[in-house]
Amino acid sequence: MDALAASFPGSEVSQDESLAREFEQRLADCPKLAYSVALGVMHNTAEAEDVAQEAMLRAYRSFHRLRDRERFRGWLVRMAFRLALDRIRAKGRRERHEYDATLATLSAQPEASVENLVASREFERQVAQALDALPEKLRIVMVLAAIEGYNTHEVAKLAGLPEGTVKSRLFLARKKLAESLQCLVKNTPVG
Amino acid sequence: MSCQKYSGWLTDAALGELRAEREPELLAHAMECDACREALSHARAVYEFVDRGVAALVAGEPSPHFATNLRRRIAQETELLQSPWMAWAPIVAGTLALAAVLAIMVAHRHVRSLPDPNVASAVAPIAALREAATASLASPQLSPRTVGKHGPERTTQVRPRTTALPEIIVPKGQLSAAAQLSAAIVTGRVDGNQLLAAQQESEKPLEMKPIEIPPMEIPVLDDATEKPANSIQF
Repeated sequence: MDALAASFPGSEVSQDESLAREFEQRLADCPKLAYSVALGVMHNTAEAEDVAQEAMLRAYRSFHRLRDRERFRGWLVRMAFRLALDRIRAKGRRERHEYDATLATLSAQPEASVENLVASREFERQVAQALDALPEKLRIVMVLAAIEGYNTHEVAKLAGLPEGTVKSRLFLARKKLAESLQCLVKNTPVG
Repeated sequence: MSCQKYSGWLTDAALGELRAEREPELLAHAMECDACREALSHARAVYEFVDRGVAALVAGEPSPHFATNLRRRIAQETELLQSPWMAWAPIVAGTLALAAVLAIMVAHRHVRSLPDPNVASAVAPIAALREAATASLASPQLSPRTVGKHGPERTTQVRPRTTALPEIIVPKGQLSAAAQLSAAIVTGRVDGNQLLAAQQESEKPLEMKPIEIPPMEIPVLDDATEKPANSIQF
């Protein structure tokens, strides 16, 4: 923390310490949020962690404007989401083509049980692809709602949207995802 | 018919968004109708898949070294910002940007001042042509020798050279003709005075002579000519 206190430039020492203390608190509870958002976009743990680090670093640089906890979390979520999207675009589409080839083999698989299907790596990839196909405004709401412990009210606060908008977007996102994954679930015994 | 009515409610019910007053009605129908019951069950299963699938995608924790790595990055950045030469960074950056702008301006001006490569080679011969023609026309003592009653004679007189003549740009196709004319003037085969006189002649305005038109005589016609034989009479 001393290092953090010393690193806030151009302020009084007491103010630096106060900022450092607050940033330490954010560092204790916010990285998971940034990491989950980045993971929902990137689907790769190492890259998601890198994006979350970058988002936290930027948050640190602007921390004097983001001392309010809720404001900080909302800003961090949007920054992580934006950074992750930028990384994905920068990576290009080469990996995506490989991805599609794997999914084609999945579609040809015989019927599987629900539990096996959900647990399978291929199902995860299929969901990831369907999620990637969603418009950005639906995707961020869907990702935030999927993070454990976040209800519609929390998502609305993080996304900076009215609760009604979040509900309608969430409804639309799930409907679109269900349409995309329908073919996968159709042949699977349910119940 | 009633199944069609309830099919639109199935998605809402599966997503938990069906209006409270409609839910008992749908459930009652589902108890009686096997197809709708199965459809509702399937829709719920699909949305459960979706929710579990997305939740599995975002599940996970950052590595235990996350905070340590972040602190290290912050410390590195701070160290960089606090290093003494970083104070000069904005000045250096500004100077470099200014130098780049100046270099671009100078290069742009240099490119604009260069002549077109198609006509550049024509400059020297035409300068010589102009030089020779000027010298030829500016020497009054040459006139009697070059323009006599026996026609133009060759002259071997050395002409004074002028150093700062304007350059004439000649289109590419006329370069060889201009060079030949230049050589002819220099060697005396062509007289500059004649060229000048011909040029002055061509520049004279044309004389306009009025054309005299005599008045037309109108012949007096008698009655027979006034009324031709084939004229129609009413």
